[in-house]
Amino acid sequence: MGSVTFEDAVNAAMRLEAQARTRRYIKLSAWAALAVAALWYSAHQIKFSLAAVIHGVPFMWDFITRLFPPDLGYLTVLGGATVETVQIAIWGTLLAIIFSIPLAFLGARNTSPHIVVFHLTRLLLNSLRAINELVFALIFVSAVGLGPFAGVLAVALHATGMLAKFCAEEIEGVDKGQVEAQMATGASRMQVILFGVAPQIVPQFIGYAIYRLDVSIRSATVLGLVGAGGLGFSLIQTMKLFKYHQTATCILVIFLLVLISDWICGKLRRRVI
Amino acid sequence: MLMPGSTQSAPTILSVRGLSKSYSGTIHALRGIDIEVKEGEFLVILGPSGAGKSTLMRCINRLVEPTDGKILHNDVEMTGKRRNLRAVRRQFGMVFQQFNLVKRLSVLTNVLTGRLAYRSTWRSLFYNFSKEDKRIAIECLARVNMDHKAFQRADTLSGGEQQRVAIARALAQQPTIILADEPVASLDPKIARQVLTYLKQVTQELGITVLCNLHQVEYTREFAERIIGMSRGKVVFEGTAADLTDEILHRIYYRDPDEQDDKDHS
Repeated sequence: MGSVTFEDAVNAAMRLEAQARTRRYIKLSAWAALAVAALWYSAHQIKFSLAAVIHGVPFMWDFITRLFPPDLGYLTVLGGATVETVQIAIWGTLLAIIFSIPLAFLGARNTSPHIVVFHLTRLLLNSLRAINELVFALIFVSAVGLGPFAGVLAVALHATGMLAKFCAEEIEGVDKGQVEAQMATGASRMQVILFGVAPQIVPQFIGYAIYRLDVSIRSATVLGLVGAGGLGFSLIQTMKLFKYHQTATCILVIFLLVLISDWICGKLRRRVI
Repeated sequence: MLMPGSTQSAPTILSVRGLSKSYSGTIHALRGIDIEVKEGEFLVILGPSGAGKSTLMRCINRLVEPTDGKILHNDVEMTGKRRNLRAVRRQFGMVFQQFNLVKRLSVLTNVLTGRLAYRSTWRSLFYNFSKEDKRIAIECLARVNMDHKAFQRADTLSGGEQQRVAIARALAQQPTIILADEPVASLDPKIARQVLTYLKQVTQELGITVLCNLHQVEYTREFAERIIGMSRGKVVFEGTAADLTDEILHRIYYRDPDEQDDKDHS
């Protein structure tokens, strides 16, 4: 009683702090050692070798020289494929937007009608996200045939997973007060979502959808590798026919397309947010 | 026309009987509340933070389900009817401490949301409201002198202005009772008095009953027609500003150390 002075209390806290710091350092060193070991083992497994890179330089140089000069005459042929690439991305993203809105509300803890629905939706979204567009494209090429429509479906499914997951997380982060105020007026469940939740997430959703369009254009440039339309088809075809000057043109067009879409989408996003 | 101070003779509009609310069986927010609210009165519920004032209000408009007890509105029991929840809620306008306007919507749309319970979901799907609803909303804005800012976004307004819009939203519900939960707790004294004056005047003009939670004694003395003092989930006082003695205030704001569940406060 009363024997603990102010000085004693402060010193005790200082000692505790020092102990906690020592523990933190020990923990950090252990994790760092583990990470180094894992990386070392992986490097060995994947046959990481600087020698192979150096040894390969002449072959790379050979390939690059064969690409030059790009066959600019081939640009006229690529026009259609370029437009098709953008069309695949636009339709794929549009379908993704349409699918992801209801899925986002079902997959958000605070708007899902039931905890089971929530978990099932999240499971679906995670599977869509886990599967790469190229894998989806392979499946759809065999389902709906070769061509751009298989690409549209591939882009749409993957983008739905990404967009809905993002949107669901935004929904979970909304200001609860604004939602409660809508409930208090006697609004129906749907009206609460429309007037209390939606206004809080719309700008972020549009911003992310534009970003997804940009990403979809990138993906659409390679979907042709598996026969799902767009520039990738010309890329793989010219390569297989050893028309490397035309391949170079394809790479150039893809590069320019990605650059332009990045620039436009960036501008659009800044307008919304 | 009801005059302030003549409410003793007015009929009861809301009666709360033995209302209790506990969370997970251990935390008791409300312990058997009995309150009679007279039609048209401005009733202040005074108490410190954590007294259960907010929970009481949320039980009345069923944002929170009470554990036990009854709530009668015009002699009709409202507890336990999940079906007509929308019809129950629209009779109670609510005003919040944090205003809770939808920030990205215009002032007018915010007030129009007070009309949602009168309209089907289908009709509000595209944010269009009837001409009649718009007239009601603009009238409510005019009552709190905010009609000149109808088309501004809600988050461009000051705190006092936002709370006036929130009052207009509650009025747009054409409620019989307004529940104001600490409506001025985040406003400075000058603006707080202005907001409380609007709340009291407008509701008196329209004959709307007000239940107002406050923790500030001065505002309570100034605005209350009748006062209910709450402490730790119980009603500990009922009377007018004149009855609010130091001894009563002590009873409301300071816990009795003899009570057994007060160990944390010794």
